[in-house]
Amino acid sequence: MSAPTKTYAPATTQTRIVVSDLSKRFGSVHAVDGLSFVVEPGQVTGFLGPNGAGKTTTLRMALGLITPDSGSATYAGTLYSSLAHPSSQVGAVLETAFHPGRSGRSHLRVYCAAAGLPDERADAVLAQVGMTDAAKRKTGGYSLGMRQRLGLATALLGDPQVLILDEPANGLDPEGIQWLRNFLRHLAHDQGRTILVSSHLLAEVQQTVDRIVIIGGGKLVREGTIAELADPARAWVHLRSPNAGTLHQELLDAGAQVETSSPEELTVRGMPIAAIGHLAFTSGVELHELRTATTDLEEIYFRLTAGQEEFKGASNAPDDAPGAAPIPAPAAPEVPSREVSS
Amino acid sequence: MINLIRAELRKLFSTKLWLWLLLGACVLSGGSTALLIGFSDQAAASPQSGIPPVESDAFSQLALAGGANAVVFFLILGIIGMTQEYRHRTATPTFLVTPKRGQVVLSKLLTYLGISLLFAVLVNAVVVAVALPWLSAKGAAVSPSGENLEVLLSSIGGAALYGMVGVGVGALLRNQVAAVVGALIYLFVAEPILRSVPATDGAYTFLPGGALESITATVGNTDLLQRWQGTLLLAAYGIVLAIAGWVFAVRRDIS
Repeated sequence: MSAPTKTYAPATTQTRIVVSDLSKRFGSVHAVDGLSFVVEPGQVTGFLGPNGAGKTTTLRMALGLITPDSGSATYAGTLYSSLAHPSSQVGAVLETAFHPGRSGRSHLRVYCAAAGLPDERADAVLAQVGMTDAAKRKTGGYSLGMRQRLGLATALLGDPQVLILDEPANGLDPEGIQWLRNFLRHLAHDQGRTILVSSHLLAEVQQTVDRIVIIGGGKLVREGTIAELADPARAWVHLRSPNAGTLHQELLDAGAQVETSSPEELTVRGMPIAAIGHLAFTSGVELHELRTATTDLEEIYFRLTAGQEEFKGASNAPDDAPGAAPIPAPAAPEVPSREVSS
Repeated sequence: MINLIRAELRKLFSTKLWLWLLLGACVLSGGSTALLIGFSDQAAASPQSGIPPVESDAFSQLALAGGANAVVFFLILGIIGMTQEYRHRTATPTFLVTPKRGQVVLSKLLTYLGISLLFAVLVNAVVVAVALPWLSAKGAAVSPSGENLEVLLSSIGGAALYGMVGVGVGALLRNQVAAVVGALIYLFVAEPILRSVPATDGAYTFLPGGALESITATVGNTDLLQRWQGTLLLAAYGIVLAIAGWVFAVRRDIS
């Protein structure tokens, strides 16, 4: 989103990841199905999808651990398996598993040796992720949050231009998530690195990422910047009024989409919140509540997870979800984001 | 490759496994030598035991061959060295750092050949430390030279090759428990059966156990291969198993 500032002079040029027509079947299941997207340098890109959407399979194919049935992922045009110094070009965290009898520092020193990096890097990355105190303890006694940090430290060993993290916020406490968020944004925005972060929780990535790639059922659902997809001007607005019926008609006349969730409550789309407030004022309708309910992005993701994980019992849906009624098909996006039917 | 071998050595020495296996091998080898010498008087009293008299060269060679009893520890060391990558899911970072997985297998073959050699020297030093003073106390003048040295060296060589064979077995089977249990059942159940059946005992000569025995046997057995043939055959087993493991197992998806 923001242009990378030149406070950091990377050894290599910035690296763009191009995922192109990637597919993988496991038996009869299309885990990943013709998936293509691009990850730009200088940004944090979120890779979002419900559990089982194919995120991990995609990342493992991109990193040469799973052989794709078709398609490829390249880093500045090169396959992972053909990179000259993979650790110094692409860092990845896919596992939070370590040999339980080995200390965090020993774990890192193993990979320093394998990658031909100086041993000092082990202590440097431990300090970078705030794990210096736990460095000499066996990883068998680490909490999940500490494992996440050690995994991140492993990925950072070679000071790579690209970072790929699979569910890095799992097991982190709120403070840790805040720290991770700032850390990743710093690496991308200030140092021009390419960061791809997967998650199955929208809220987790929404505040961290600049761009977002949403997949479901192994296919691309939507790709775009947060600015486009989470534009408050395109949000769903929730209002409560004793004269909801009157306002409902006024809103429809003004061209808005309206849903009724109860006799006193309306959910409005396609009209800025200020315009709705103004309409209520000029119509002399009393308002008891007027607020932004969900953004377009939340709406897309809610629909995706609702469909995939069968949250059909929408009576348990949170209050600010747009009503318990079946959600209408999304309006054609007016913003220049790509939509791919799934 | 030097970097990868350094990484393998760090993997090995950053956990306690090597210590327990080395101690186990020392105790078993030194113990078997001690038992043999300790009960030599009783053995002498019953000639049908087949154990030569304690003053003979044959007896000292038998005592110095105690290290050959511990080769199975080196097989297990090699198997675990390979399979722990899968057991503890470190295969992911290992193959991320080294995407050319054949290099990882090769570095493990070389590392465990070398480490097994070193450990086998220590194990045989324990055997010598038990055997020499005790035998001389019993009136047998023994020195670690000539045929006695040959016995020690062959037990060291057999152990080193078994470490390599272990890596090959681990590469092929990936599942640590299956690989260890399978290898032990093969060596201690399957091969003895093959050996005892007349129709298949000729094949035993060319099996890993037969090859090992041709290296370490102190009592001449004419059915076995020459020592150098056995050495080459056992090394070939390690290499062929590792290549097969690379082709059929190691290249598979890591998910």
